[in-house]
Amino acid sequence: MKGYLGIDVGSVSTNIVFMDEDTNVLESLYLRTNGQPVVAVQRGLKQISEKLPPHTVVRGVGTTGSGRQLTGIVVGADAIKNEITAHAVAASHLVPGVQTVLEIGGQDSKIIILRNGVVTDFAMNTVCAAGTGSFLDQQASRLNIAIEEFGDIALRGKTPVRIAGRCAVFAESDMIHKQQMGFNLEDILAGLCEALVRNYLNNVGKGKEILGPVVFQGGVAANAGMRRAFERAIGMEVHVPKYFNVMGAVGAALLARDAVSRGVPTRFKGFGVADLEYKAGSFECDGCPNLCEVIEMAEAGRVIARWGDRCGKWSNALAAGNCS
Amino acid sequence: MPVRVGIPRALLYYYYFPLWKEFLERLGAEVVVSDRTTKGILTRGVQHCVDEACLPVKLAFGHVQNLVDKGVDFIFLPRMVSVAHREYICPKFLGFPDMVKQNITGLPTVLDTAINQRKKQRDIHQFTRQVGAALGKGPIQSWLAFQRAWETHQKYMGLLEQGLLPEEAMSVLAGKEPKQTADNTDLTVAVIGHPYNIYDPFISMNLINRLRKSGARVLTADNLTEQMVNQGVKRLPKKLFWTLSRRMTGGAFNYHDQGKVDGIIHVAAFACGPDSMTGELIERFIRREGKVPFMNINLDEHTGEAGIVTRLEAFLDMVRWRRTAV
Repeated sequence: MKGYLGIDVGSVSTNIVFMDEDTNVLESLYLRTNGQPVVAVQRGLKQISEKLPPHTVVRGVGTTGSGRQLTGIVVGADAIKNEITAHAVAASHLVPGVQTVLEIGGQDSKIIILRNGVVTDFAMNTVCAAGTGSFLDQQASRLNIAIEEFGDIALRGKTPVRIAGRCAVFAESDMIHKQQMGFNLEDILAGLCEALVRNYLNNVGKGKEILGPVVFQGGVAANAGMRRAFERAIGMEVHVPKYFNVMGAVGAALLARDAVSRGVPTRFKGFGVADLEYKAGSFECDGCPNLCEVIEMAEAGRVIARWGDRCGKWSNALAAGNCS
Repeated sequence: MPVRVGIPRALLYYYYFPLWKEFLERLGAEVVVSDRTTKGILTRGVQHCVDEACLPVKLAFGHVQNLVDKGVDFIFLPRMVSVAHREYICPKFLGFPDMVKQNITGLPTVLDTAINQRKKQRDIHQFTRQVGAALGKGPIQSWLAFQRAWETHQKYMGLLEQGLLPEEAMSVLAGKEPKQTADNTDLTVAVIGHPYNIYDPFISMNLINRLRKSGARVLTADNLTEQMVNQGVKRLPKKLFWTLSRRMTGGAFNYHDQGKVDGIIHVAAFACGPDSMTGELIERFIRREGKVPFMNINLDEHTGEAGIVTRLEAFLDMVRWRRTAV
């Protein structure tokens, strides 16, 4: 069997998909990154190679997400793309004619507007991570409920409580206040979903024309309460695709397929990278007052990449090949 | 030995440095510029500045500190009130010399003569006379020095209008060959923002060079003539009385209306009042027509580049994708 790998290394989850040559997703994995992107990728590659039939040929690899550069170096990627493009590519491939993509991940949320299959506009949340998956995670653990149950409990809420969604800190104190007043959990969670959706539409979706079909993806799309809150707020059906939580990886695989389509051989180093030892380290360069934090990646004891220097002194030294 | 006058490489440096340099040199001074922005300069600025100030003002504090270290005799911080009829420069510029004098110790003499041309263009001569007097020169010599310097300024503006960016234009003025910009660009992007944000590679996280490396030609509002800017700003129902905001807004509208760019990026500094207004203004007008892709980028003290890289990549992907689809 031949196919393509897509790897999306986000702040919270690391997702890997294997797609055959007809772009059917055969295998998909959703793992927690736990702050160790390389370890997560290695674990993921190992798991997925065990699931695939022997003699599977990987024709191309694409990486995306905030860890895309790092991962791209580790696995030898053919396409390294930002997550906005990857999500848009995946959504328009799996849901032809999609005009709006709502995406909420662990640390960021974005809206992508497509018209006639082309991205015409997008926005990402600014510095604040209010209203993203990690906030929901945190609230679920504070209330001692599993994040997987969050959505179903919220769906049972009949009269959602009004909660301030502008800022995660305010939302939390508002929730505690409402709890102490005696509102039940279902209504509070339903209210939290509505508050987050309100904040998202206000902040990220500001001024964008939301037209159907609307696709909701990213880890938070698993939360049925959030989906219902979106449907209520925009008055349209919100479609959650089958691979909603690995859409970035699906996009990366599609982009990899595109990258090698012109007969370029893949740069994939093979599933063997799962067993190599990778070590990331950093040091502060004192060559000038910028004091850049240079990050160094070593594969089996040999430095394979450096980045983070503004002037290129360290990264170029390596590219030129005159560095041990 | 000539007196050494320091000019911070911050705020309106990118508009007026050639003018100030020539003017001060003709008054017999040696001009010293602060070093390029580094993490060290920014950190010192943030430490000494009031916390409510915007990022560019904090940075300018760091540059003043840097000049203090260099042991200059004067620091040139003209109090910029107004440079155009019935318009103003941001009030933080007006108060900047006072903020510096209150917060930085060990300062040499600060030349903080006011420039206020709100009523009449020729009110500049009050300024030239006072600066000349501070450096021990008479009114006529000061006036002549300013006339010569103004000619250089006109030459500088001319270079900008030819499409050079400030640093490039300054090196041409200094007699260097203009650097040949690579031809491997397939699209043109207008970067709209305050000069001290977009032209400082540290603060903008190298935005302009990143765009160029990704195959985009970069134009800014400063590559347009005053007339073109005013043409652009005409579509607003009311006059904008901040000079810099008028330039940015007019520039964005001109590029949009002339169809000369494939995308527009607005760069705003966190905590900048006028930016939050003009950014919104530009965005609304441009979105209403929906012809040119638009993106807003917020800058602050963070040095993590991932956010900006992701947005720029996605923006260029979008611009290219949109173009192939037409």
